[in-house]
Amino acid sequence: MNCIETRDLCKRYGNALRVSHLNLRVPEGSVYGFLGPNGAGKSTTLKMILGLVRPTAGQIRVLGKPMDGAHRLGVLRQVGSLIESPSYYGHLTGEENLRIVQTLRGLPQRQVGEVLGIVRLEGQKDKPVAHYSLGMKQRLGLAQALLGYPRLLILDEPTNGLDPAGIQEMRQLICSLPGRFGMTVVVSSHLLSEIDQMADQVAIIREGEMVFQDSLEALHSRSRHHLALRTSDNPAARTLLKERAVPCGEEEGYLILPLLTDQDAGRLTRFLARNRVGVIRLEERQKSLEEIFLELTGKEESL
Amino acid sequence: MKLLRLEFYKCRRRGILLICAAVLGVELAWMSVYSARQSPEEMRQGWMILLYNLALVDAIILPLAVATLASRSCELEHKGNTWKLLETLAGPGKLYAAKLGWGALVLAGLLALRSALFLGVGLRQGVEGPAPLGRFGLFTLLSWLVSLMVYALQQGLSMRFANQAVALVCGISGSFLGLLSLLFPPAITRCVPWGYYGLLALAGMDWNETTRITRFFWRWPAPADLALLALWGAAFLLAGWAMFVHKEV
Repeated sequence: MNCIETRDLCKRYGNALRVSHLNLRVPEGSVYGFLGPNGAGKSTTLKMILGLVRPTAGQIRVLGKPMDGAHRLGVLRQVGSLIESPSYYGHLTGEENLRIVQTLRGLPQRQVGEVLGIVRLEGQKDKPVAHYSLGMKQRLGLAQALLGYPRLLILDEPTNGLDPAGIQEMRQLICSLPGRFGMTVVVSSHLLSEIDQMADQVAIIREGEMVFQDSLEALHSRSRHHLALRTSDNPAARTLLKERAVPCGEEEGYLILPLLTDQDAGRLTRFLARNRVGVIRLEERQKSLEEIFLELTGKEESL
Repeated sequence: MKLLRLEFYKCRRRGILLICAAVLGVELAWMSVYSARQSPEEMRQGWMILLYNLALVDAIILPLAVATLASRSCELEHKGNTWKLLETLAGPGKLYAAKLGWGALVLAGLLALRSALFLGVGLRQGVEGPAPLGRFGLFTLLSWLVSLMVYALQQGLSMRFANQAVALVCGISGSFLGLLSLLFPPAITRCVPWGYYGLLALAGMDWNETTRITRFFWRWPAPADLALLALWGAAFLLAGWAMFVHKEV
């Protein structure tokens, strides 16, 4: 079963279509990485899923129910969320902040202590949140989302502003949630490396459009190996390779060939040498995930 | 009820009691100045003059007090980006109603205390005649209703704009316009929401140009003015509610 399903989801602001015909499928029990450069439409999409922003067109189903006025709050009782920056009352303590959510959700008081333990904020619970560091506020936001142990957790850039240790801690915590509490987690980020370490399902959006949605494994399989060949006369080498029916392209002074066996590679270099084309470099290469991401999103500057 | 209870919980340590104490202190000080300037002849008119002056002081102080209270209640949501959290837990209409309920209760407490305070002051100063308890009760109810109407306007602004300067400037202007409108004919006063503090005052004043004697008299609020007050209140409520409910967070 899919925890979230959207069909042709669109959001228009003025003349700009910020989210365009998105069809998300979030399988139950997964950590679903929602990846895209800054301004790609991730937060808008997540807000539409939570009913905080009205879609211009399209349909949304969460936990099998449509997100319309009649079902919205009922569905959201089983959904925890942390959107953009953490929400908090700075003049109240961490515990008092959690009490507000606990009361609104109608949960037993003991859960406040439990979630404080999960995010490791027990020692700071009596301090006004205005005195918390950004990392502590982020953990408080996660604790608020965890109250009630929801079936679905939506986290929008949860590692924003955290130091490396905080990022590592948050990552481990997110990865542990499906196993510990049976939650499905949707986590958005503009950092591929982050999603690579957390998610098992990935969606990539660019300028509001979905450019990839599958398992992380499928994304990795795109990073195929290939050979890069540099010769003393690349145009002549290309002609010779064409004669031998070896497909090849050219990239930054290198001829790009499919991966060959050792014997075939040996035969090819001998063949080029016989035809007076010297082999200067022959390298085995693999596209990194980052390169694939850049290819898909076309947004080099945001990384 | 849960949301209303939480409004009081959220306003802990927000200095709400201090604001109420300041309002009472300023009104008390202002009234003392008025009383000191009153002639012995005027003072003989006792409770009428007290309620007349109190309505004037209300027109100056309460618009600003109401704006401050509404701002204190809404600012904490903007500051902590909590609208998006709250709207995943409750409908925006209910959130709006809870904030309004909080304001109505705080104002009811403040104004009841204010009336009790000035009733006590009057008794202590030995104002002539029996204390008009019924009129004090009605005066409290009317100033609460006017404050509620103004609160609906202020809450709408404080919820809509994160920058509370917008709402506070409106409150300051209200103080000025409320008092200024009382210098004009009632038809103009009726067009100024803050003018209703004076318009619905239970005591009126008549200054005779030839004898130069000021006479105070009891009066009842005109039903048409009460209907207009209800209309203003409904308009501010609907506009504030619509602005909040349709705003995307």
